[in-house]
Amino acid sequence: MTGERPLPYGDPEHQAAHQFLVEEAALLDAADYAGWLDLLCDDIRYIMPVRVTTARGAGFDALADMGHFDENLYALRKRVQRLATDHAWTEDPPSRTRHFVSNVRTFPAGAAELRVESSLLLFRSRGDTRPPDLLSAGRTDMLRQTADGYRLARREITVDESVLRTQNLAVFL
Amino acid sequence: MLDLTPIVADVRRGMIPAHIYNDPEIFALERDRLFARAWIFVAHESEIPEPGDYVVRRVLADSFIVARDERGTVRVMFNMCLHRGMQVCRAEMGNASHFRCPYHAWTYRNDGRLAGLPFHDEAYGGEDGFARRGQALLPAPAMDRYNGLIFVSLDPDAPPLRDWLGNFAFYLDLYTRQSEAQVELRGPQRWRVRANWKIGAENFAGDSYHTPHTHASVVDIGLFREPRASKRKEGALYTAGPGAGTTYKLPPGGSFDSQLRYVGYPDEMIPAMRASWSPGQRALVEDSGFMVSAATLFPNLSFVHNWPQIDEAGTVAPFISIRQWQPVSERETEVLSWFAVDASAPEWFKKRSYQAYLMCFGSSGMFEQDDVENWVSITDMAAGSMARRLLLNSRMGLTSADKPIKPPLAGFAGPGTAYQGFGEFNQRHWLGMWSDHLAGASDGGAR
Repeated sequence: MTGERPLPYGDPEHQAAHQFLVEEAALLDAADYAGWLDLLCDDIRYIMPVRVTTARGAGFDALADMGHFDENLYALRKRVQRLATDHAWTEDPPSRTRHFVSNVRTFPAGAAELRVESSLLLFRSRGDTRPPDLLSAGRTDMLRQTADGYRLARREITVDESVLRTQNLAVFL
Repeated sequence: MLDLTPIVADVRRGMIPAHIYNDPEIFALERDRLFARAWIFVAHESEIPEPGDYVVRRVLADSFIVARDERGTVRVMFNMCLHRGMQVCRAEMGNASHFRCPYHAWTYRNDGRLAGLPFHDEAYGGEDGFARRGQALLPAPAMDRYNGLIFVSLDPDAPPLRDWLGNFAFYLDLYTRQSEAQVELRGPQRWRVRANWKIGAENFAGDSYHTPHTHASVVDIGLFREPRASKRKEGALYTAGPGAGTTYKLPPGGSFDSQLRYVGYPDEMIPAMRASWSPGQRALVEDSGFMVSAATLFPNLSFVHNWPQIDEAGTVAPFISIRQWQPVSERETEVLSWFAVDASAPEWFKKRSYQAYLMCFGSSGMFEQDDVENWVSITDMAAGSMARRLLLNSRMGLTSADKPIKPPLAGFAGPGTAYQGFGEFNQRHWLGMWSDHLAGASDGGAR
């Protein structure tokens, strides 16, 4: 972001935003997806554009009209419901995941919202012998202040690979 | 040294040596005898609509630039510089009038012709030492198109694509020509899975038997009402030309319009479907009462058409995906998954259809997630010594005397042969073509 200064790291709003992301990661690593859904606003938009390799100067490095995710609350709820069934084979046995959240920067964005940028490294191990998968991404979130505290109103995931090296996205980033 | 004869003999009788799903010697034969001859999809014209637009796609290890040149002609060119062999274009997509090699700056027009090389006079003595005229990036040995789908073959003597497609073109139209505007493709999502490429191709060709169990979760959550076993076994499986596919049985007694409405097509799209489809294609929907679902065009291009519920109100939205199982090795496959939609469809429909696609298929799709888990596991298991002693039974639908357990479906309006209910007719059809190629029999592009 050009010129825009993040809130100082000692700022209570930055600290609240950082804590939100860390607590959220703990829920995801514990596979507490119902708890995770509670952190989302009803009008959540959760998107992850497909990244592409383009020439320097092409003016784009992501597809505007194709994502790995482009979700509203209905779609995310269905995904969570599915994982809770007895038939979501891809996560049974479950993956062991670790969401590493770092490089958190918080920017004021209107009266009741914060824009929070972070880096995410997702480690995913399946089975006993398969090589683990890594997904590296940047995230730009909009956190909204509500009566219940901060809630996620929007997340855009900028994945750092054009060709993903994980068998599917049965995980949240 | 691999003895192919007994392997092919077993495959032809529907008993599949398990190791073919993870065997470097088999993979080398597939490269040399199958991918060197067959028609392979590389792109759709809608991905490169304007002059200068290009995408870079592979056929196994060979990288090709698929470009629309300044005159609007689609070109497919081997992406290797004529001089020292650099990959000329290292982006996946973009728009360019020229491609310049980063090594010594040899420069090619977007139709492939060599336009410039530095110091032509000083270094080569001009045209006398190196005749620039007539030099061009190697074109794909054969290139042909159908409904905007661009295919290449590494065999210059490949038969015309339309001849090769044969009766499968009837079904291909149902996915890629819902109006005269044809489809537009978005994507692809690309991801690599540790699975053999054949498994996905076979699955999409005809495995209606896996749906009720593998995809039980999407029924559990009310995302898609059809995949229940009771519904799936009413569907017809068809083989036609180099393709095979699955269908769902539509509600009885419906008209063409009501059946399309049932799967979620809006009234404004139906007249174009009626007009662009033949009487036979319409009859498949209206008289036979079947709607196409998954299909595979040999060897590695698959299609899927489903109609999930995309909101709490139960709105049904259909989507089409085209996907390629691009082999990386005997144990790894790159999946390229496009969302496809009728180009003339209303924008609101395209949006709904896209949402339906993302929920069901592709890198995050709730159907596809469970498929890939299975395919990775099969590939793992196929690597060892015991897999060489195991013949996988792929004879579903046949008696011990090789007779179908029930006759072909009478009154099926589509071409080819169709059976109703579960069976592995389609996988055997696909594996039969695989066997023909590996055994070197003259089939399609074989020399």
